[in-house]
Amino acid sequence: MVDERIIGETPAVRVATGSENHHDGRELLHEANESETSVTTAEVGSVGHIDLEPLVVATVEGKTAFFSRPSTERMETITRTLGEGTVPTDGAVAVVEHDPETARLPTPETGPLGTGVRRVLGGCGWLAPTSIEEYTDVRGERFTDRAEDDPESVRTHVMTSDLRGRGRGDASGDASVAAEWTTVYETADDPVVVVNGNEPDEHADSDRLLLESAPLLVVDVALASAVALGATDVVIYTNETEQIARERTRKAAAALDDVTDTEIPIRIITGPDEYKAGEPTMALEAIEGNHRIEARRRPPGPNEHGVDGRPTLVHTPRTFAQLGQILNGTGPVGASADPGTRLVTVVNDDTTAATVELSTDATLEAALSAVEPDSGWSGACVGGVFGGLTRSLDVPASASGLRSARLGTNGVVELLDKSTCMVALAGERATFAKEMNCGRCVPCREGSKQLVDLLHRVYDGEYKDGRLRELVRIMRTTSLCGFGRDAARPVTTAIEEFETEFTAHAKGHCPTGICNRS
Amino acid sequence: MSTDPIWERSRNDEPDVPLAENIAPGTANDPDAGATESATVTVDGQRVETETGATLLDACQAVETRGDVLALCSYDDSQKIGPRSECRTCVVETERHGVVPSCSFPPRDGMTVYTDTERASEARDVNLDLLLSNHNLLCTTCGKNGRCELQDVSIENDVIEPRYGVMHDRSELEPLDDSSPFIQIDRNKCILCNRCVEACNDVQVEGVLRMEGSAEDTRIGFQNGAETMMESTCVSCGHCATVCPTGALLEQGLVDATTLPVPGFTHKNSAEGIVDGEYDHQPTQRTPMKSELETQNEPRVNERFTTTGDDRS
Ligand code: SF4
Ligand code: SF4
Ligand code: SF4
Ligand code: FES
Repeated sequence: MVDERIIGETPAVRVATGSENHHDGRELLHEANESETSVTTAEVGSVGHIDLEPLVVATVEGKTAFFSRPSTERMETITRTLGEGTVPTDGAVAVVEHDPETARLPTPETGPLGTGVRRVLGGCGWLAPTSIEEYTDVRGERFTDRAEDDPESVRTHVMTSDLRGRGRGDASGDASVAAEWTTVYETADDPVVVVNGNEPDEHADSDRLLLESAPLLVVDVALASAVALGATDVVIYTNETEQIARERTRKAAAALDDVTDTEIPIRIITGPDEYKAGEPTMALEAIEGNHRIEARRRPPGPNEHGVDGRPTLVHTPRTFAQLGQILNGTGPVGASADPGTRLVTVVNDDTTAATVELSTDATLEAALSAVEPDSGWSGACVGGVFGGLTRSLDVPASASGLRSARLGTNGVVELLDKSTCMVALAGERATFAKEMNCGRCVPCREGSKQLVDLLHRVYDGEYKDGRLRELVRIMRTTSLCGFGRDAARPVTTAIEEFETEFTAHAKGHCPTGICNRS
Repeated sequence: MSTDPIWERSRNDEPDVPLAENIAPGTANDPDAGATESATVTVDGQRVETETGATLLDACQAVETRGDVLALCSYDDSQKIGPRSECRTCVVETERHGVVPSCSFPPRDGMTVYTDTERASEARDVNLDLLLSNHNLLCTTCGKNGRCELQDVSIENDVIEPRYGVMHDRSELEPLDDSSPFIQIDRNKCILCNRCVEACNDVQVEGVLRMEGSAEDTRIGFQNGAETMMESTCVSCGHCATVCPTGALLEQGLVDATTLPVPGFTHKNSAEGIVDGEYDHQPTQRTPMKSELETQNEPRVNERFTTTGDDRS
């Protein structure tokens, strides 16, 4: 009984996994199906807490218990107990009472599962990812149907909102989504809608989470956007390795196509698994099938000259999910200049990671309980591989808040402990930029080489801070695409926030000891 | 849900240039640069009227600017070439958009532009020095000495000592491609302005040259996958050498036109290795490959991503 409607079923057991623990999840599900036939089972997507997963979610009549990574024997006991009409609680990480028909994952008040809010993530780990019946029931009205009935109301809702883009893969960047829509709509000529789900940043998990756990939501909003803008194609762009996301998205698209009659084809196109390929104009190149991927010159941007030169709306799954909230009209949350929520993956020491949702007026600190770090962290890199280094997470999760703290907005908080050398970390990120750029423009291609060189020289006793600051400033302000502009951030912020570490290195001393060359 | 490739439904009805569907230059599908309407802008306090299609660089060139807008990679002799907008030595500062590359930025009515702010000049200086950091700067043995655009802008910008030095480690040099009797390639002088690729593909429609590789390995290469000019499908029209701003592409007759008259002091020995050519077996101006083989262009199709591409690493 996999992949079917699960909501309201009782007793029921859901096995929540992302691609990371998919195989283990399948085994548990198999065990549950074997041991008790009176219990409804379902494979659901990750809830965002991959370290707790496979997470077994056992429900009877409005009461749910969560079990993290149970053994198959325990799984058998859980299912048996459910079969008897009782919620097993022994060994549960949390037990929650809730409305039996709730469409959102019921979560405890505290602990990792209770971190943040669950607005766009509500259905993740609770709804069957590709069940169109369940999705339709829960919503009442699909976004696509609404757009077909009244495209203008959809446009007006979006074009009068203050929503900003989410994620580096979004062509509107951190800027106004309404402006992006207006340009696409006003540029005559067959628009295209692109869901840019290619995010190979190893820690930025939000897009993958949405495509694996709530693909119907993302595809429905994208299709509704296409209808509202008079677009004639929808393209879902993912990277090669995201097989589960792609498969579920494909199913979701096929199911939506069956029940709606937009006649807008939805195509799934894969691009390379390289960080640069997530940049919005490089995404266009990959979609067009170019064998070599480099950034496109702009202006004009994709909103006027996108796929095959057609006006193209490029949003990330994260942005489409936020658009769903706008269209729901569920009332404003978050900061007024950047309404909504922001998905943030918190990574602790490379061993634990969780993706949670914060209102944009919350501070990043609110995300920490997701990984329950001990007090040992002494800094963080915020914004992904090209994030900014900081000592404090008392920073609002809004675009302007993150910007004024010089941090990145790509939804990642990597906690760094006392053993992290900030100079080495900055060097690692500069090397990544030097090796992974597309090669098109001088400030990024040649600048990143010189940046690595200037950092090497710190180890030789030469800390030329003026030269370093000058170089990162030029990379940030004159690079052709977001890759080069963001690539300057780790070094810029490292110098600002941790300068004493640079001067110490220039004197031959690494405060953490890890750079001491023997 | 449809699975046909998207380009089959492309509504772009403009007929392609003959052969163009086989041409794979490896570069992005850039939009047209330039303004969509005429405008009045202010450059360093002077009013300039610009036409449709103009860029901010056109506006800057219409007046006496206070700063030297170098604009090394731009090329205005042909509509079909550029702006590649890669060198960023044409940066100016605008009130609304901060620093922008003038060669590709469209003037908009009421825009105020400054060429001599600290941020704009610093950006041009640093980017020029970044270019030189990857350049085998040996003008005295270079065939472009005296008629080289890189040399010109370096002089114009008073470069005395480039802040990042120049490419000096001989082991880093790429061998010189001297395989063709018509055109010599010295990639150590190349600034990746893409003019030659556009001249070859968009003007001559020959489909020989392409941009390949990424990051540090970005280089000018051949669409048929050849390693040398002689093995490429070159027809020796010479257009690439005509547009090249540096000594990277030279007609063989001019290779040592400007080197010092000292024995053993030649363009050839400025690089570490040489890919030499035996010219006897080439009967016509076409390279043997052009006559023998069909162009083996890499197709612009999406299947590329289900297999491993050669030059995406
Ligand atoms: S900034 Fe970097 S990645 Fe972007 S175009 Fe320039 S070289 Fe390519
Ligand atoms: S291309 Fe030749 S002439 Fe021009 S700057 Fe380089 S070495 Fe000098
Ligand atoms: S060979 Fe010459 S024309 Fe071609 S990219 Fe290099 S510098 Fe430009
Ligand atoms: S001339 Fe504008 S970027 Fe090179």
